[in-house]
Formats: sequence, structure tokens, C-alpha cells
Amino acid sequence: MKPASFKYACPTSVQEAVGLLQHFGDDAKVLAGGQSLVPMMNGRLAQPDVLIDINQIAELRVLEVNGGLRIGAGVRQRTALESPDVQRVVPVIAEALRHVGHVGIRARGTVGGSIAHADPAAELPTIMLALDATMTVTGAGGQRTVPAEEFFRGVFTTAVEYDELLTGVHVAVPGPASRSAFVEVSRRRGDFALVGAAVSLELIDGAARRVRIALSGVADRPVLAHRAQEFLEGRDPHDPVVREEAGRLAAADLDPASDIHAPGSYRKKVSAVLVKRALSNAVNGE
Amino acid sequence: MTVTEPLTVRPPQYVGARVLRVEDNKYLMGRGRYLDDLALPGMLQAAFVRSPHAHARIASIDISAAKALKGVVEVLTGAELAKMGTPLVADLQREEVLPVGKELLATDKVRHVGEAVAIVIAESRYLAEDGAQLVSVEYEPLPALVDPEQALSHGAVLLHDDVPGNNVAHIEFDSGGVEEAFAKADRVFTKRFHAGRQHAAPLETRGVMADYNPGTGHLTIWSSTQLPHFLRTLIAPHLQMSERHLTVIAPDVGGGFGLKCHVFVEEAIIPLVAKRLRRPVKWVEDRVENLAASGHAKEIVMDIDIAVTNDGRFLAFRGRYIGDCGAYSGYPWTALIDPLAAANLLPSLYDVREMSFQVDAVLTNKCQTTAYRGPGMAPGHLARETLIDDIAHELGMDPVELRIKNCIGPEPYVTVNNMRFDGGSYVESIRKAQELVDYDRFREAQAAARAEGRYLGIGFSPFVEAGTWGSEGAKALGFPAEFYDTASVTVEPDGTVTVTTGTFNHGQGHHTSLAQLAADRLGVRIENVRVVDGDTSKAVWGAGTYASRSAVVAGGSILYAATEVRNKLLALAGSLLEASPDDIELYDGQASIKGVPEKSLPIAQLAGVGYFGGALRPEGQEPTLSATRYYDPPQTYSNGVVVAIVEVDAETGRVDLQRVVAVEDCGTMLNPLIVEGQVHGAVAQGIGAALYESLEYDESGQLLSGTLMDFLYPSSTEVPTIEVSHIVTPSPVTEGGMKGMAEGGTIAAPAAVINAIADALTPFGAVIRHAPVRPADVLALIEAGRA
Ligand SMILES: Cc1cc2nc3c(=O)[nH]c(=O)nc-3n(C[C@H](O)[C@H](O)[C@H](O)COP(=O)(O)OP(=O)(O)OC[C@H]3O[C@@H](n4cnc5c(N)ncnc54)[C@H](O)[C@@H]3O)c2cc1C
Repeated sequence: MKPASFKYACPTSVQEAVGLLQHFGDDAKVLAGGQSLVPMMNGRLAQPDVLIDINQIAELRVLEVNGGLRIGAGVRQRTALESPDVQRVVPVIAEALRHVGHVGIRARGTVGGSIAHADPAAELPTIMLALDATMTVTGAGGQRTVPAEEFFRGVFTTAVEYDELLTGVHVAVPGPASRSAFVEVSRRRGDFALVGAAVSLELIDGAARRVRIALSGVADRPVLAHRAQEFLEGRDPHDPVVREEAGRLAAADLDPASDIHAPGSYRKKVSAVLVKRALSNAVNGE
Repeated sequence: MTVTEPLTVRPPQYVGARVLRVEDNKYLMGRGRYLDDLALPGMLQAAFVRSPHAHARIASIDISAAKALKGVVEVLTGAELAKMGTPLVADLQREEVLPVGKELLATDKVRHVGEAVAIVIAESRYLAEDGAQLVSVEYEPLPALVDPEQALSHGAVLLHDDVPGNNVAHIEFDSGGVEEAFAKADRVFTKRFHAGRQHAAPLETRGVMADYNPGTGHLTIWSSTQLPHFLRTLIAPHLQMSERHLTVIAPDVGGGFGLKCHVFVEEAIIPLVAKRLRRPVKWVEDRVENLAASGHAKEIVMDIDIAVTNDGRFLAFRGRYIGDCGAYSGYPWTALIDPLAAANLLPSLYDVREMSFQVDAVLTNKCQTTAYRGPGMAPGHLARETLIDDIAHELGMDPVELRIKNCIGPEPYVTVNNMRFDGGSYVESIRKAQELVDYDRFREAQAAARAEGRYLGIGFSPFVEAGTWGSEGAKALGFPAEFYDTASVTVEPDGTVTVTTGTFNHGQGHHTSLAQLAADRLGVRIENVRVVDGDTSKAVWGAGTYASRSAVVAGGSILYAATEVRNKLLALAGSLLEASPDDIELYDGQASIKGVPEKSLPIAQLAGVGYFGGALRPEGQEPTLSATRYYDPPQTYSNGVVVAIVEVDAETGRVDLQRVVAVEDCGTMLNPLIVEGQVHGAVAQGIGAALYESLEYDESGQLLSGTLMDFLYPSSTEVPTIEVSHIVTPSPVTEGGMKGMAEGGTIAAPAAVINAIADALTPFGAVIRHAPVRPADVLALIEAGRA
């Protein structure tokens, strides 16, 4: 469990980092908090020739509310979780972050690292999908933005090209009618979820609008429950029957994989339960 | 309170007092020294090349690229090691048992994923792993056996040519009238239970360092082991060295839990390599190796039958135990460590006069099995105790009352298979636990919750713990051999005390609890007693620490030795105070005449006379104040109960473990603080067995839980506060009245938790047949019940 040898670079600006990525191309890997990458390197499942450590890039550590919540890729998960801005503006992100590993892991792990790593069971990608977040990706040609729906492409695969850096994530400030919640089931506290569900909606005159429901752990990436979203549009999520049906619809099209922790059929059933519960938490936890 | 200060207010007697652990400061200050912390000048590091196949012939091994790598000093394969040392052969002195050998490194074939085929020694572990990656091994895969029943079946491929049927042993016991009892019983209940494949998962993995001095011919081995002396005795022949030229040192050890009470091939390989290279060599096992290639535990497929009368009296027990023992027979305890211990403890605390069992210890293409806290006893208990709950349910009886109805009395009792229980609070502890959880109130709350669609459950799991392992106790569990321990007690010239013992403290608090015994016996303060262990050149020979034996076995030998030294002190004091030794009292560092406290002398002064007093010593008394004694206790068994209360989320299958109550009776308690710590740890590991720990293999023998992301054990977030209370029924047969403890929680908690889950799921008629119980399993039980 020791990594193979590698070269190490420690750029201090995004521009410098992107230059290094351009130069080394496929041979390089970005090192953020290292909480996923370093175990893979220790097990020699990843053997990058060059490690580009982005921990010294101050501009990646910005967390601000300015026409929306902007979290730099380098912001530690713990910093985001404890941030008064996050807790005030989009508290559901903190709710999701509480489930990410343990405090020691969150103290190193970054928001960008988790999103770029794109584990299909991870909390941050799921909540970002539910919040319709936008990722900022920077390459040699400059910045581009990618909506969450297009960002996650498969297991550990995203829209970030090998010579690009994920630099931040942007979430619109939710209005007063917004409601959201995150729930998950895992084997133990801090484990990756067996299934997670994130919902975000607006409650206008008792009816749900702009509903987004994202599920983790049920496919090769976090997925939106389109049929449940459409069903809920205009309906009253305070009604348990409505929530039940939304859960059923959310799970109906899923075909999750099995592993030693749970068969796919379990994940499918529990998806329905968690969607129902997340909806309930979102509208009843007011 | 500052713990760095010695106790100033001393209890009237140390034994039984909550003395703070004297060893903790070192750990809390970060001054513990574990194997990985050790380094010697010129030290090399080793890494192993391990098999990716479950079962395969080794066609060829090419080490040339690895050898050519800069920084790599040596690469050795099994063929080379076979010239340097001999295989480890596990055998038991029982005619049913076949010896099974394990080569130091595999030569012709590998038998499980993770088995070592070559070793690379380099200037650093990094380089050694680089080298290991360059060793190219050509394998010819063979069919893999992952199901022990299949492995037993006719025509199955053989793992070892000299183990027919892949069965290390078939052992039977029959009290005689079992079939008759079953034939005439009103009801017969039967259950197959499959206990999960667990692993001790100590925080510190294994590790070995060795240094050979060609100038003296002396080899020193540092190993993260539970049994330094035993390791030396067992490993010497394999190194072709005599014990006088071997020193084994166990540094601070970060947990063993039974895994490290074995001797492993690495403990022969590293010394052999150090001797050959004439440079110190160290190997620290990493977590992947630890999970795949150290020792697994407790996976047994069990069929239990109980013959019962309509009013709930147990007439006979019948058990079949098929151990899924992995590819080798763990050295030295053999593959029987789980299935045979499970079978022999089948009667537990029930008054059953007819019993039979069959045990098979089956080899499969998995990692070998080794001891892990409550070996065999824990899975066996789980099968029996879950069946008893099923029976209570079927007969419409309360599960607690059903147990009490069949429970033995408090007096000593000889089981149908000749275990000699030395008396205990078998019923009393159950009643006490019932009171502590307010059983009747719980049942009301449960009913009320059910009416709201919430599922609460309670599980009772009373146990007898077959710990201690003196010769008789080991034999009663099926392992005939001599197990005793030795201790030396020395009052130094300044009156302070040095105790040495062949047991080895690796977290149990012996440096406190054993010192308490010596301090009381010698009348000195505990601050003035030092316990030395873990080094074969500093402590007397002993078999090590495992099987909850140290308090009894080390404790007894210390009491014997300390008594001898005490008598010397009494004689000295009598002579100096001009009184009869019988009238002398030793307390708090003073020797005084009973009832005449002003006539006293400091023990330090007595010691001075004992060493240098010449004619002041009583006639005939030799100088120095030291004694070495051994103790081999008779059978002794602690007992107790673990009760668990859970709430089950019927929609997700999540189990919320809300409360755990434990009642422990281990006879005389040396230190309740330490006893409670042991109960906490043991119960936590039992919770692991019930809900989390499972090493899974796929059909081709690939290990699916090869990291701690997939092999789950409970952490502080999964373990509730464990409420412990005590009953003290001193053993009438052991020196000091102690009974071995520390495994009861692991034996009993799995059944407590699983019975609680089944109890919560009573409306669904749930019968639980395997462990661990995952949320998905709970949901499946609920659905089956609804269907
Ligand atoms: C014990 C444990 C438990 C955990 N439990 C959970 C959990 O419950 N839920 C969960 O979601 N996660 C969990 N994690 C993972 C943790 O959240 C990681 O922090 C996260 O997945 C990766 O973030 P990082 O900053 O550590 O990234 P790193 O490990 O440094 O990198 C991860 C990957 O992302 C790439 N990368 C990182 N940053 C960027 C960037 N800015 N641009 C482009 N590529 C980038 C790296 O090249 C690498 O491929 C756990 C980890 C551990 C060790």
C-alpha cells in the first residue's frame, strides 16, 4: 500500500495548474484533498506520473454569496459544512455534507474533489444535481460552465477533460418558496450511501413547482427522477398519497446494481422510501 | 484530576478497586512504540508478492526484472525459502485430526487470494512494492472451492493432496441417549444458521522485524504478537535455531483479539531473510494483506436441533458444525478453533443431559481461519440462542422464562460433555438484566409502538464463557495440550517490586491489574510495582495472552510467587521486630506487628536486610527476595447476560441499536474499570458480528471485501453506551477466585442484537438464519412476512 513513484508539482494559480495539465496531459492527476486519490494510489489502482497539487491555489478556496452561492473547488468539505453562508443560504448542502465520511475526512476532502471524482453514491454530486448547480471548468482556452445534468457522465467520469480543472460550483440563491431536503441510507454513519435522495422544489399556493429529485447509488451517476418530478408538478406534497406516488414513480424506472452491501432490488425499493421521506422533510420541516 | 500523579488516596485493598490504568499515560502522550515505529541502522523493508488467484498452479516465477531494480536487495521465491526453513504444520493431539502444512512461501500452488509467493527486500517499502510489481508469476488456475459443503462432497478438487475430502477433522460426540430423546420429545425444533466470516481487524496490523548478529550468532525478532515466548518456542525449529540464540520482543501491540495468538509464516520468513542478508529487515503488514492473508474467523454453517417438551423443557441438543476454515489449518491451534469450540459449548448454561455433535473443519479456497475473540463460541451461541427465541415464539412462551426454565443452578455443574462449570449467577444475572431494562415496561412500550407501526425489539443472550485456558479448560473445549503460565516476583533491594510474566499485555491493562495483585500480597503501594512482559530475555516463560486467561493464569502464578516472597519478608520482619512472622502485617509499605502499629519497619528496610543484611537475616534464609512459580488452573467459566434493544425501520430495514445492557460475573474482579472496558470492547465486536462484519468471496474465490470500505466494523457511531453491571461469584477452584473474562460480550452480543431484531419483526414471523443482518436482509424478512 505504497504509491509508485511520481513527480510532484505544486502550482499556486489556476493558470499555472492548467498549464501543467496541458503539458503533462493524460500522465498527470490533480491532487485535491487526496481522500479518494491517495487510497487509489496506495493500492496502485492509480499510478499517475505527475501529481499536480492544487492545495496551494488560494483562488480555489473562495466561498461567497454574490448573486448565488459560489464554492471554489478547493474549499474543504468541512469548511463548506460549517460555513454560515452555506447554512443560511442553501442549508441543504450542509445537510448532505454531514453524511460525507467523518470530520477527519471532510477536513481534507474538498468540494471540488468530490464532484470531480463523481462517485455515483457520493452526496455532493447528488445535491448539486438536485439544486441544478453549474460547474465551472477551466482549461487553456478559458472558463466554461456545465450544468450538473451534463456534468456527470458515468462512474468516476465527468465533463472535465484531462487538461482541465474544475474550479468551482455555482448554486442559485433559493427563493423564499424553496424547499429542499437530503436523506440517505448507509450501512454505517459516514459510509457511502446505499441510496441517497435529494429534493428541491418551490411551494407556491400549496403546490409543488420546479421540482427536482436526484438519487444517488442507483445508477452509474446521480440521476434525476423525471417521472416523479413531472407528477409532482402542481400537486400538493403535503399529501402523503402524493408523496407515496412520487416515490413509486421515482423508483419505477431504476435498475440499480447489486453489491455485497445490498442487492439492486433493495436500492430500488428504498429509493421510493427515501424520495417520499425527503419530500416530507422538505415540506414538513418548514 | 491529573492522571500523571500516582494515586494518593489508596483503597484498603487494590484488588477490586477502580485503579486507573498505569499504562495509559504512555499511550496518551504518544509515547507508545509499535512495530512500525521501530527502526535499526541499515534496516531493509520487505513486501510480498501475493496471489490474485483463489486456486492455481504456479507455472513459473520470473524475478529478474525485480532483482534488477535499483534499491531492491533480494527477491526470494518459495523454492528458495524451502531451502532456508521448514513449513508450519498445524496439528492437534487427537486421532481425528490431520496435520496440514503451510510452506513458508507457496511453491507449487496457491490456495487463496493473497497467499504469498515471493518476497522482495529493498531499501524502502516503496521500492520493495515497486519490485513486487515487477515479479511476474505465471499461474494455471484451478477450480476454486468457496462452499464448505461442496468442498466436502465426493469428487471435489483437493486443496492439499494429503487431506482427503478437504476435511482437517471429523469429530463426533454422543452422550448415548440423544436419538431416543429426540424420538420421544413432544416437539423438535431445527435451524440452520450461517455465521458470517469475520476478522479481528486490529488497529495495528501484523508486523515483524528481525536482526541477526553474526558476531554472536544471536537473532532478535520483534513481532506484533500476543505470545512472545510461545512464538520463540514454536518458531525456533523452523529457523533451525536453538532458543538460546533467539530473543523475541513484542513491542507495544495495537490489538490482537486472537489474530496475533498464532504463529505466521512471515514470522519465520523475515528472520530467515535477515539472517541471510545480515541486515535488519522489517515487514509491516498493510491493511489489504491483513484482510486477505492474515486470518479470518467464525464462519460456520450450523444445524442445531433441540428436543423440547410441550411445556418448554429442553431434552436434548444436537449440532452439526461445518467450519469454513479456509486454505490452511491455522498454526498452532488448527482449523478446529472455530467449529470445535462452537460444538463443545453447545450446552451453555442449559441443563441438558443428552447431546451429540458432529464437527467438520473444511478447507476452502479462502484465507485460513484463526482465533478471534470468542472463537467458535460466538457463532455457536448465535445459532443456539436464536433457535431458542424461535422456540419460545412457537411455544408461545416468553423467551426469558423459557431460558430460566432450562437454566442450571448456581452451584458447580458438570455438563453432559464434561465441562466443569465452577458455579455462577446463571439465573440471577438474567433476572438482574431483566430488572435493569425494566422488562415488563419494555413489553408495554413495544406493544404501544407496534400499534403506531413502529417496531421495537428486545433480545436476551445469557452466556457461559469458556475462557482461561489452563490445560484442563483447553482440553474441555477439545484442545488437549499443556497450558499454564509462569511469573516471577522480586522485591528489589530498595523495596520496590518487579513482576515478570509470560502473559503479554497488549491493551488489557495487565500492568495495572496484575500489579494490584502483587501489591496487595506484598503490602506495598501499587506505584512501587512494575510488571515486565513482552520480552523473552526479560520475563519468565509463558504461553502468552489470549482466551481471557491472564487474570487467572498469570494472576495465580503471581499470587503463588508473591506469597513465597511475602513469607521471606514476614520472616525478616519477625526477626527484626522480635515477633512471630505470623503476627506481622504488611501494608502500605510497612511491616508492623498486628495491633501494635507503632512497632513497624518500612518494607524498603526489610528489603535492604534481605539483600545486604548478613547476620541480620534469620538463620537459614537465603539472600535476595525473589520467587518464580507456575500456575495451571482448573476449569473455570465466567457468565453473564447481554441484552439489546433495537428499533427497526420497516421501510428501509435500518436497525437502530438503542440500548445494550450487560451483566458480567467473572468471579473476583481485579479491577472493575478494566472489566467494564473489556465488556465494552467485547460487546462492540459482537455488534460487528450481528450487523456488519462479513468477508465476502465471489464464486471464483475473489475477495470482495478486501478493504475497510467493504469490510465494515462498528465504530463509535454504531456502538451505543453499554451499561455494565456486575455480580461477583468467586470461583471456588481458582487461586484468588478470578474467572477468565473478556470474550463474553463478543459471544453473547450477536445473539442479543439478532434476537432483538427478530423480536421487533415478530409481526412478520421473522426467523433469522444468518449473520450479519444487513438492512437489505431485514427488508427481505419483512417482505416475506407480508407476502
Ligand atoms: C473513509 C472515507 C470515507 C468517505 N466517505 C465518503 C462519503 O460518505 N461520501 C462521499 O461523497 N465521499 C466520501 N469519501 C470521499 C471523500 O469525500 C473525498 O474527499 C472526495 O471523494 C474526493 O475529494 P478530495 O478533495 O479528497 O479529492 P482527491 O482525492 O484529491 O481527488 C479525487 C479525484 O478528483 C480529481 N480532482 C480533484 N479535484 C479536482 C479538480 N478541482 N479538478 C479536476 N479534478 C479534480 C483528482 O484528480 C482525483 O481523480 C470518503 C473518503 C474516505 C477516505
